[in-house]
Amino acid sequence: MRRTRALLGKELADLRQNLTLFVPVLLVAVVSIFIPVFIAIVLPAVTGERLSDSSDFSIAIELYRQQPQTRSLDPEAAIQAYIFQTFLVFLVLVPVTASMSVAAFSVIGEKQSRTLEPLLATPITTLEIITAKVLAALLPSLAISIGCLAAYLLVILLFAHPGVAWILLVPRSLAVIVALAPLAALASLQMAVCVSSRVNDARTAQQVGALVILPITGLFVAQLLGALVLSTQVILLIAAGLALVNAGLTWMAIALFDRETILTRWK
Amino acid sequence: MLTAHNLTRRFGDRLAVDDVSFELNPGEIFALLGPNGAGKTTTLRMLVGLIAPTSGSVRVDGEVMTQQSAPALRGRIGFLTETPGLWDNLTVRQNLHTYAELFGLPEPSAAVDSVLDLFEIRDREHDRPARLSKGLRQRVALARCLLHRPSIVLLDEPTAGLDPESAREVRELIVRLRSEGRTVLLCTHNLDEVDRLADRVAVLRSRLIAVGTPEALRGRLFVPRVRVGLTEDAEGYAELLRRAGLREATADGRQLTASLADTPLTTADIVRRLVEAGAGVESVMPEERPLEDVYLELLNREDRP
Repeated sequence: MRRTRALLGKELADLRQNLTLFVPVLLVAVVSIFIPVFIAIVLPAVTGERLSDSSDFSIAIELYRQQPQTRSLDPEAAIQAYIFQTFLVFLVLVPVTASMSVAAFSVIGEKQSRTLEPLLATPITTLEIITAKVLAALLPSLAISIGCLAAYLLVILLFAHPGVAWILLVPRSLAVIVALAPLAALASLQMAVCVSSRVNDARTAQQVGALVILPITGLFVAQLLGALVLSTQVILLIAAGLALVNAGLTWMAIALFDRETILTRWK
Repeated sequence: MLTAHNLTRRFGDRLAVDDVSFELNPGEIFALLGPNGAGKTTTLRMLVGLIAPTSGSVRVDGEVMTQQSAPALRGRIGFLTETPGLWDNLTVRQNLHTYAELFGLPEPSAAVDSVLDLFEIRDREHDRPARLSKGLRQRVALARCLLHRPSIVLLDEPTAGLDPESAREVRELIVRLRSEGRTVLLCTHNLDEVDRLADRVAVLRSRLIAVGTPEALRGRLFVPRVRVGLTEDAEGYAELLRRAGLREATADGRQLTASLADTPLTTADIVRRLVEAGAGVESVMPEERPLEDVYLELLNREDRP
């Protein structure tokens, strides 16, 4: 535990000196927040057309009329709430991107700067190294995703119809940010750590870590088409599946982090 | 004490280390020499438990190094890698403090203070390694290597790329480690350094070609000679010694060189005979072949069919 904490402290200190790693994360965060704001607020304001005038969103009005807590919303507010709910899943991309950026450099950075061999020559175990590296990527990612949720809600509170922000403050939204986002981020960074143990180029690790984006996009599209309603139960079910994936990836990360291979095959 | 017993390591078809055995004693400086690719770094990595031998074993204080025992045994070994390997985004103190924690030291800050003072780098403790000279970086790496006061110290090229003053400081430190009773394994291409420091030398080229004290290796390869400086031309006195039974006695101006092989005559006998013959003797020096000659001769003999 002490060695994990020591290495984690080093990793976080390292990150503070490498804040540029978070530039792509910031971009993803801004885009994830901007797109629904643009569709739900900016576009109707610029064109002067109400969203409720379009038949495209009739599904949203129908959906919200069925639920007692949202029945009182006027059609425009219901559509805004629908758009912001649907795009909420995009916020999961923020910690995923952050984890990927950090984790891809975690092992490869050590290899490239030749700092891994002295580290491996200490009594630290592989599990302790992996734990420290995963936590170092996960903790800032989670902080960023919670910050993003706060910014998302603030923008909705300030610019959307009254009541829309409160509709989003439900267990379902929290489940996305507190359960789905960390577990997806964990899967992404574990994949990046696995790959970075075996390659000498951070970009390769990032590309493999980026695979996690595909199922998240799938969830978004399924919601949009009405094929899937992301209820709290569904989110928790997906989270449970991700937890299993995380456990498998932890085992794989330890198996792939072969000190000998890392030392003898690096360039 | 560190023991390598029949260490062999293969990488695919390539035999990197072949049946290497030696024992390192407390208070001893043991130099491991060999050309590039001879298996020195692989041997060091096996000794510190970073890679496993294909066959053979490493013992630290009698305990066999295995995957399970390696983390604990590594705590008794200080390993200076070929490159300093310092974290450039952390200060010198942060680097050392992290390692003090990794080695589980009870008072990490005190341990860091101690090595900062020992290596006279306290005034640079808040600098990042990237801002330090190569010599200072190496000093920090050495400080890291000795932070946990290991009884066994493995040094891979500790003075490579250092200026003469820094190199001398490192050599003094190595001598100090020996006087503290620690075991030092020195891996270097600097044969002059080995000649000055090492109690025993091993020459490796995948397998061990020779192990012994520098004197023993010299004695094994080269006949002992004595050089006598005279006040006049040495040619006549060389002839005198040849007549007295010396197989090899040569003159070069006022310098006379005599081989002590295959003769009952000692250096004292030779000097007495020269003085009795009327020679003015200015100096008498045993001719010591540099370790480089010993090393190259060993490699040459290995190459011969």
